[in-house]
Amino acid sequence: MISERYFILNVALLAIGTICIRGSFIALSGKLSISPKVRELFSYIPAAILPALIVPVNFFHRGQVEWLGGKERFLILIVSGVVCYFIRNTLFVIAFGLALLYLVTQN
Amino acid sequence: MKHFKLGFLSILPLISGIIAFGAVMGSAFANAGLTFWQSLLMNTVVYAGASQLATVDLMRMNAGLLVVVTTGLIINLRFLLYSAAMSPYLKAASPVVKFLCAYSLTDQSYAAMSANDHRISSNSEATQFYLGTAACMALVWQGSVIAGYVFGNFAPPELALDYAVPLSFVALVIPTLKSTRHKAVALFSSVMSLLLFEFPLKTGLIFTALLSIALAWLLIRKTKYD
Repeated sequence: MISERYFILNVALLAIGTICIRGSFIALSGKLSISPKVRELFSYIPAAILPALIVPVNFFHRGQVEWLGGKERFLILIVSGVVCYFIRNTLFVIAFGLALLYLVTQN
Repeated sequence: MKHFKLGFLSILPLISGIIAFGAVMGSAFANAGLTFWQSLLMNTVVYAGASQLATVDLMRMNAGLLVVVTTGLIINLRFLLYSAAMSPYLKAASPVVKFLCAYSLTDQSYAAMSANDHRISSNSEATQFYLGTAACMALVWQGSVIAGYVFGNFAPPELALDYAVPLSFVALVIPTLKSTRHKAVALFSSVMSLLLFEFPLKTGLIFTALLSIALAWLLIRKTKYD
């Protein structure tokens, strides 16, 4: 059971800390001069963060498909990445990955 | 309004991933014994799915305040990079708009903007586009978390709808890989995230992000930009 006081304290600190992180550079916008090279660097942020959010969780996931070594989620993620590279359609990629996972786990 | 609408529409294809994540989050709130209003409060004031999922789990185990808050904030440290990336667009924005953009910074919104930068030609258009993505994100996220709280993780387990979350991130990141260097950084981030996965308090995520940005800097440092 999570006590009310403990919960409120945690949530308040998380909320304040998170808005400070999110607002840090935005609050300073207009006062900072950002060079074109740094702006180019910003285009690398999704490539730097998004794989780190999904790769470990799916790589270390213990699956049930023996012939894929239990790594079906990770392997389908790679296949979906390749499909997405050629077919730039988000809905198609999500449907493709879900269908492929369903097929390999149901057989 | 045209760019607001474009931004809003750019998030729509990701909805299945957001709904699945929201349902997982909502059911995690319910399973931790939080009331509906407590869940709504946390989901509104923190508004950061990955850190909420980790901290609700820690709170359920009665972890120390310092551990809970540090873990949550370390996961959210990546927003520092998004904040820096958004700042040039918001130079002339009002404090209210700046607050709204800061509050609503998410992986999905920033990646959607990055993938659609060819549609944006001014700071004002970028802000409108961004606020459009943020509005769509907030509506779908809040709705799906509430549904997840009320109905539990409503998707049948055999459909593995939670898997739509990483798939939507794949669909988000691929269009942002515009050069071989971007692809190299994404590959490096994937490998580093595996190597640093065991780091305490989820610090592997922020270390991976910072090392990957450092690699990107190394790759572009000799290129000239006007």
